[in-house]
Amino acid sequence: MRGLIENRFGFLALVLIALGALFGVAFVTRQGVTPAPVPAPGRVAVESVSTVCPAPGGGRISAVTPPGGKGAGAATIAEIGGKPSGAAKLEQPGVPWQRDLPAKSGPVKVAGTGAMAAGLEATQTTRQLTGAARGLAGVRCAEPGSSTWFVGPGPATADVQLYLTNADAAQAVIEVMVYAGEGPVVSESGNGLVLKPGEHRTIRVRDLAPSPLIMAVEVRTISGRVAASARAVLGKGKGADWLPASTEPATSVVVPGIPGGGGLRELYVTAPGDADTVVHIKALTADGFYAMKNRESLDVPAGSTASLDLSTGIGGQPAAIVLTSEMPIVAGLMATGTGTRQDVAFSAGAPAIEVGSVVADNRSGKKVSSRLILSAPAAAGKVRVQTLPRRGAAPAPVEVQIPGSRTKEIKLAAPAGGGDYSVVVLPLPGSGPVYGGRVMDERTPEGLLLTTQPLALARTWAIVPPVAESSTVVLP
Amino acid sequence: MQPPRPSVTAIVVAHDGTRWLKETLEGVLRQTRPLDRVVGVDNGSRDGGAKMLTEAFGPNAVLTLPRSTGFGEAVAAVLERLPRTGGEEWIWLLHDDSAPDPRALEALLWAAAGDQKAAVLGPKLRDWLDRRTLLEIGVTVDRSGRRDTGLEPREYDQGQHDGVHQTLSVSTAGMLIRRDVWEQLGGLDAGLPLFRDDLDLCWRATAAGYHVLNVTDAVAWHAEAATRRRRRMAASDVHPRRLDRRNALFVVMANLPFRSLLWSVARNLVVSLFRTFLLLLAKQPANALDEVAALVSVLGSPRRLMKARKARRKNRKQGYPQVKPLFTPSGMAYRRLADMVQGYLSGSGPIDSAGRHHAVISEPAKEDGEELLTDAGLMQRVLSNPGVLLCLALVGVTLAAERSLLYGDLLGGGALVPVVGGASDLWHLYTSGYHASGLGSGGWAPPYVAVLAALSTVFLGKTWLAVSVLLLGCVPLAGLSAYVATRSMISHPLARVWLAASYALLPVATGAVAAGRLGTAVVFVLLPAYAALASKVITGERRAARRAAWGLGLLLAVGTAFAPLVYVLVAVVGGLAAVSFGGVRRGVGVSLGIALAVPIVLLFPWVVQIAGDPGRILLEAGLHRPGLVDLRLPPEALLLLSPGGPGVPPVWATGGLIAAALAALLFRRHQMVVIVGWGVTVFGVLVAIVAARVPVQGAPAWPGVPLAFAATGLIVAAALTGHRVIELHRAGGLRRAGAAFMVLVACTTPLLVAGLWIKDGVRGPLQRGVPSVVSDFVAAGSPQGEGTVVLRSSASGLLGFTVLRGRTPLIGETDLPVPEATRDRLSDVVAGIVSGRGGDDAGTLATYGVRFIAVPGPVDAKVRRSLDSDPALVRVSLSPSAGLWRMVQPLGRAYLVDEGGRRTPVQYTASGAGLTVTVPPGQVKRTLVLAEPAGGWTAKAGGTSLAASTVDGWAQGFEVPSAGGRVTVEYAAFWHDAWLWAQLALVALVLILASPGARSAEAVEEYAEMPVEREPQEVLAR
Repeated sequence: MRGLIENRFGFLALVLIALGALFGVAFVTRQGVTPAPVPAPGRVAVESVSTVCPAPGGGRISAVTPPGGKGAGAATIAEIGGKPSGAAKLEQPGVPWQRDLPAKSGPVKVAGTGAMAAGLEATQTTRQLTGAARGLAGVRCAEPGSSTWFVGPGPATADVQLYLTNADAAQAVIEVMVYAGEGPVVSESGNGLVLKPGEHRTIRVRDLAPSPLIMAVEVRTISGRVAASARAVLGKGKGADWLPASTEPATSVVVPGIPGGGGLRELYVTAPGDADTVVHIKALTADGFYAMKNRESLDVPAGSTASLDLSTGIGGQPAAIVLTSEMPIVAGLMATGTGTRQDVAFSAGAPAIEVGSVVADNRSGKKVSSRLILSAPAAAGKVRVQTLPRRGAAPAPVEVQIPGSRTKEIKLAAPAGGGDYSVVVLPLPGSGPVYGGRVMDERTPEGLLLTTQPLALARTWAIVPPVAESSTVVLP
Repeated sequence: MQPPRPSVTAIVVAHDGTRWLKETLEGVLRQTRPLDRVVGVDNGSRDGGAKMLTEAFGPNAVLTLPRSTGFGEAVAAVLERLPRTGGEEWIWLLHDDSAPDPRALEALLWAAAGDQKAAVLGPKLRDWLDRRTLLEIGVTVDRSGRRDTGLEPREYDQGQHDGVHQTLSVSTAGMLIRRDVWEQLGGLDAGLPLFRDDLDLCWRATAAGYHVLNVTDAVAWHAEAATRRRRRMAASDVHPRRLDRRNALFVVMANLPFRSLLWSVARNLVVSLFRTFLLLLAKQPANALDEVAALVSVLGSPRRLMKARKARRKNRKQGYPQVKPLFTPSGMAYRRLADMVQGYLSGSGPIDSAGRHHAVISEPAKEDGEELLTDAGLMQRVLSNPGVLLCLALVGVTLAAERSLLYGDLLGGGALVPVVGGASDLWHLYTSGYHASGLGSGGWAPPYVAVLAALSTVFLGKTWLAVSVLLLGCVPLAGLSAYVATRSMISHPLARVWLAASYALLPVATGAVAAGRLGTAVVFVLLPAYAALASKVITGERRAARRAAWGLGLLLAVGTAFAPLVYVLVAVVGGLAAVSFGGVRRGVGVSLGIALAVPIVLLFPWVVQIAGDPGRILLEAGLHRPGLVDLRLPPEALLLLSPGGPGVPPVWATGGLIAAALAALLFRRHQMVVIVGWGVTVFGVLVAIVAARVPVQGAPAWPGVPLAFAATGLIVAAALTGHRVIELHRAGGLRRAGAAFMVLVACTTPLLVAGLWIKDGVRGPLQRGVPSVVSDFVAAGSPQGEGTVVLRSSASGLLGFTVLRGRTPLIGETDLPVPEATRDRLSDVVAGIVSGRGGDDAGTLATYGVRFIAVPGPVDAKVRRSLDSDPALVRVSLSPSAGLWRMVQPLGRAYLVDEGGRRTPVQYTASGAGLTVTVPPGQVKRTLVLAEPAGGWTAKAGGTSLAASTVDGWAQGFEVPSAGGRVTVEYAAFWHDAWLWAQLALVALVLILASPGARSAEAVEEYAEMPVEREPQEVLAR
């Protein structure tokens, strides 16, 4: 010890040893702290759903709650502004409810709470064999929201009407934006309107913007919520149908559910942002992705809508169109049936059906057929398809494999008891993202009646993001 | 023809002054200009003064008066009895302790002959003992009555002030005054038996148009026996200091014209109170009392003052222009005040020299910055001071590096909550018993809020300024603190400059600035002060050590409030020191005990909170975010003092410092201290390893504080060998090269860190212009502190939320404790809303008093969709930068629940922490619910207390009568308030005990008997 103190290098050695020991401790513990993993998003059953069927007069409303809900609950179907006693009740989950409504009926609100809300789905379908609106037309009853996009033909091509309903207790201030082929249309009369609670109104887009051949419409609220639907009537012998709501502007959009067969297939793409963009277009068919010759991309100027005829490109195959761009876009598609008097159907950008999808009204018969067109643009998809008949026991569910980067068409079989039925499509664990659409057609002597409905997210489950109280949110 | 020779009468007044009287009498009798008459007055001396006077002047020339007679009365009594000579007649007044030089009278008369207006003349007064020290060459006052001799303390007489000059006043010791003027003016005021009677007389003489002259050719030696308390005063039993001050005030107020008087009264009030405050701080309560008592006694007897003013009315206003130029120049007062503050800060206590009766004070303490004492111009002095240069350089480096943070909007980011609010808001936060912020909390606000509030008050209420200075200025502040603190440890200024620069530019500092770590920044500035105070506690003289211990305790409490870990570090090292030095030096153990106990006592309630959650010891003030720390801090970074996280230089930047400190181990001198320094370093690094590896609330703490602690030991160890390096350098040859190399290596660290810091700048996360999460709309929409849920999604997918009360949280509010149960319950509700499942989650959220949901941008599409689809919410606005939703049916902070569970909002107004609610009449069984956690609340309606209950498992409810009416809801915070007062008292006490006190102010100077320099001569009697 004495030698250590007297040696000039003694203390240096001691300190170095101590530092070495510290290094050792720090080295051994260098794995440090692994931050607690963020819990995966959970899901909870939806507790309350309300949808508005815009104009069911002369048509049929179908509503269904898929089985599986727990606890008590109730679902009612009532005309907005109608007598409370006129409300119908959806009796039990798993059994579709249908009713044909008289021609003069106003919008109908389908609302459910508790167990009857989880997955509540309503559709209105009209079938007309004469008149300007001849054709098969169906639309998913709309959920009130703050922003709804429709993409399709403009007032110069078709008579497009917006059905706006305020089913809430608060007043809604609404703005309608029109993006035409030449850019956003600024209306001189102003695009705003106010809907009082319970009020509904029909607006002709022609009154806002008379000239566009093609267009995208955004119905958005400045305050409150609105249930918006849009219907396009192309004219005598050209058919009519409802425009399905498109997904919000995004840089990657999938337009699913394009029916096979002959007829026109026209794609509409809108870039509502401030910058021009080039949209890359790929078709996803049963044979996989392929870029259509001369139709690989589409230039869309800022704030405007562009269209592209894909009829020859897809070549009559059931397909989905996958669009990517640098700027957010919305997209829609028009398909026409064959025959001397055509019918028209619309599809639009749709989300992947993560928690499943329900289509309330499907028909199968001798002349009528319903098909699901499912696409798995990435990994292979695996879904279970369950039909829910109005009468009789539900058949066993069918599991369907969709190979990766393929589209698959599934023909829905009529239930044993006949009649209309609902379909539940549920992705199974391990499945890649699946997009889909339902096509329903009816052969008539004059031609094919056609309607499509892109599969929307079922309202069964809500994704609960992991939430934590933290003061750090006051800072970016 | 020669003018008739004037007649001069000397009057010697004696009072218990035999010690000096003999020499005085000698001086009188040996004048070269013989006196025409001499008279002795004895004011009842008990030491044989009368006998001595009789021996000198003869029995007929001595008058005996009672003991209580004042000087003025005594002279007046003599003049009453003294017949006039008819011609020009002069009176020469002498104290028993003032011995005139033999040529004094001659010189005075010569000067009097030279000036027709001269009526009062005085000699140059020198000290009795130290015969060359000047006491007075005429005295003046400022408007607040402070004496000013115009001399430096202990100034030697080298003829530098010689000449005949007019002055405001001369002392009565040796005063030559024309008898007719004396009688015209009424002589000395009998109301001023001692002190300032001379000033009063001379003032009146000047005002009457005469000249008061000081003649430096005439010399007298004065013992100032009364002021120095060499003898008891019989004329007054008041302490001479208080008497002097009172008389000074009295004379000034009596002689000033009316308008000046008003100004003088106001000024004296302010100045006296300030002086009292300073004196109290210096622990001189007796002086402080005198100061106040003097003022009160003058202002308290206005009649006496009126009388005196009436007597002086004649020439006061007309003569004032003559008096005015003789006052002390006005700048003098400020210089004096500055001297006093400086004296206080330097530890010698606020004794202002010229304010005492004479110019002599005890030897000034050795100045602290001795290098400041070179006799050069101020600018040169400042600019050649290495400490100042270092600070300027560090300020320059800081400004260059923090260029992005210097101006702009809200400062915030990283760990720092955007700095909003002012000092009053922080004080309110600290003092209120219940904090209506966030989810509501009755806990103690973190004590650093009080420190920041105090600092903000100093910065005129601007919290942002205080925080900016502390955080952004932490590098220069730390440099300054290190430079000043090591003054007594390291002698060589260059070594200290290196030390301070190395310390200030540690990676810890740049990291703390970049991440907005206010806690580390404050502790970083305080650590050198801890080191200095601790070394004083261990090695200092006992009283100083105790004082340092109190100071250390106080500063440690401040540091602990910001970063509790520093207490643990200091406590462990302090404990070891107490064990090693406790036996060697008496009182060290107790002193260290005081230093370590003070923080615990001062921070008591908060310490209890911390003890309940020990992990928080590792954390610091501000937000704890995993993104701000390096989760896998490499071992070499820890050893190289790099704490990781944003804004730190590469780990190798500090290599030179470590190398220099290792080299310091090779020197023999100071080896023990170097070893102790290294011991501190090893301990600090060990704690840093623990801090960097132990997760607290999901992420490890930032090891900045322990690494700064480690660096302190390391740098002090290295700097101690600075002089040795210089010696090596002087040795020349190979050693010189070695020394140069070592210096080079040692200097790489500060230069590298500074260079890299400037090059990279501060890139955040601390930033200017943090967007406020609470918009003006929300602020206007929640006037009574209604809640707003703020939702922000993070990259990891975790959705964070918090509840704000209509404003951005104050600094410190985010550290308030929130009960885990409440937090979980609210998390479920928010998750339900964000999932968009429908349901009544929004309604439940309303019962928490929430009115808005704000989502700062970019707004996540799913969150937006969920909020939009909730019928209980209405969107107010949505833009890329933010979205805001409002409850359709908000309940507010108070609402009623009826028997059926129906909730209805009520009218209420917030007042402080409580509420006043107007309850409408209604059903029998209704509950008034306060959307605050239950417990501690009381409610009163018309004087009766309401029965309390807990609603929904957490909220505070009260049964309300069916008649309704006004209900006052309050939070009972009696014990909280009581403890706050106690805390205030404790802080004041510690401050007083820690502040530098004067050395015993009235220390009895050794007053040896008069040194007899001349051979004794027999007293000449005439």
